[in-house]
Amino acid sequence: MNNRPGTPLLPLILVGLCFAALVAGKAVAEDQPVAGAVKNRAPILPSESRRIALETAGAFVNDGFRIRDGEWNGTLAKGTPRFLQVTLFAGENYWFVAASPARGAMLRVTVYDAAGKALKGEQWKGESGNGGGARSAAGVAPEKSGKYFVGVELLEQADPAPAEFSLVYAYK
Amino acid sequence: MVTGRHFAIPALLLTLFLCLPARGATPAIPPMTEAQRGEAVFLDAMSIPCPGEVFVALNKVCRPNWATLVTPATAPVTTHRAQLALAVGVLAANGYIAVEAQDGQQVRNVGREIMSVAKALGVSQSLLGRGNSLMEFAENNAWEALADELEATENEVKATMVEQKDRDLVCLTSAAAWLRGLEIASGVVLATESLQGIEVIRQPELASKLAAQLGALPPRLKGGAQVALTREALESVASLLKANGLSQQESRNALQKIHDECSVVVKSILTSATALGTPAPAASPSASPAPSPASKTTGTNSSASVTK
Repeated sequence: MNNRPGTPLLPLILVGLCFAALVAGKAVAEDQPVAGAVKNRAPILPSESRRIALETAGAFVNDGFRIRDGEWNGTLAKGTPRFLQVTLFAGENYWFVAASPARGAMLRVTVYDAAGKALKGEQWKGESGNGGGARSAAGVAPEKSGKYFVGVELLEQADPAPAEFSLVYAYK
Repeated sequence: MVTGRHFAIPALLLTLFLCLPARGATPAIPPMTEAQRGEAVFLDAMSIPCPGEVFVALNKVCRPNWATLVTPATAPVTTHRAQLALAVGVLAANGYIAVEAQDGQQVRNVGREIMSVAKALGVSQSLLGRGNSLMEFAENNAWEALADELEATENEVKATMVEQKDRDLVCLTSAAAWLRGLEIASGVVLATESLQGIEVIRQPELASKLAAQLGALPPRLKGGAQVALTREALESVASLLKANGLSQQESRNALQKIHDECSVVVKSILTSATALGTPAPAASPSASPAPSPASKTTGTNSSASVTK
């Protein structure tokens, strides 16, 4: 005779509760980030000018060029060129690509030697598509390794406000 | 009878002839002024060439046997943040060498070591994805993607340093990467009979600029042994690279000196704080490099071989 009718069920209930707690705990643990794991950070989106510059430079990749990970960006006003110091290697080929999403903008990229004299090389210009921005590139193959300068100039613009720009370069 | 019409037609043609060249010619680009040169922007990620660029240039003038230049990737065990920042630069350059040698195992080792140093610097959180990409590309022998990923990894370490108010560490990483690249490049050039490729590495202005950047660091960073050694080496390298009109033998001697000074600095950067002058062990057991038959001890690449 069983004086304690609930007793046989008690272990089953306890096991069930434990199992439920385990499952729930696992579910919670899966929702939380594991220490040391990559946080779900928002991707760093490139600016529109960088996007256009990289898209343009991408054309040179098909020709064996490698694009550097860096970028030079800022704003340009007509009649006030801006300059970046770079270090180039003799015998290597370079393309410096500048882009701006500014409407009606026209850019010019020029590479100068250490003394500030413009280098002879190739020039390329294009529009950036529907937005009416500008893309421009200068290709050089320096004969000497050393210090050079890259100048970016806003030749024309529709809006009086300073135009945003981005410059990237590719080498091979 | 000669009329005014007879004169008008040649005059018009002459005018057109004189005007056409002026319209078709590209307007002359004026030279930069001294002020413009002085105010030119100097950006770490654009103005300092990455080691990959140096190696691409070297590949054009001579054909280095990259497999003999691969070195074991060992990070120093230290808490000195300046040394760790320098180590990131050296390791990144080692990664490029492994990529040129198409040595997937070494690339993986370098990736692990960079992660290890980044962890010690407290900048590893955002880099885990990069580390995984390096491993994946190495598995798939995607060498160009690996070179891009190495540069991106180095830049991400620098960006995180900036985010964490450690902007000063960035120039240490760049300087160390450049010196390690110069050590390798000078070794490669020395291994040729006619110093092929010496023009590629002639960058005295950059050496001076990097030395000046290190000189402008706050005293807490500038005072470290490795930082002081790196700065001294950069200053010495700058003056040696500036020398012009040297004979072949004098050039070789100067280049050997450059190579030796770079080797000393690189060895010092990779030496653990506790090792007191002996080569550093790996930062963690998992980061131990796999023995490579082609590997040599860091800083002893003066006999770098060149495939002719």
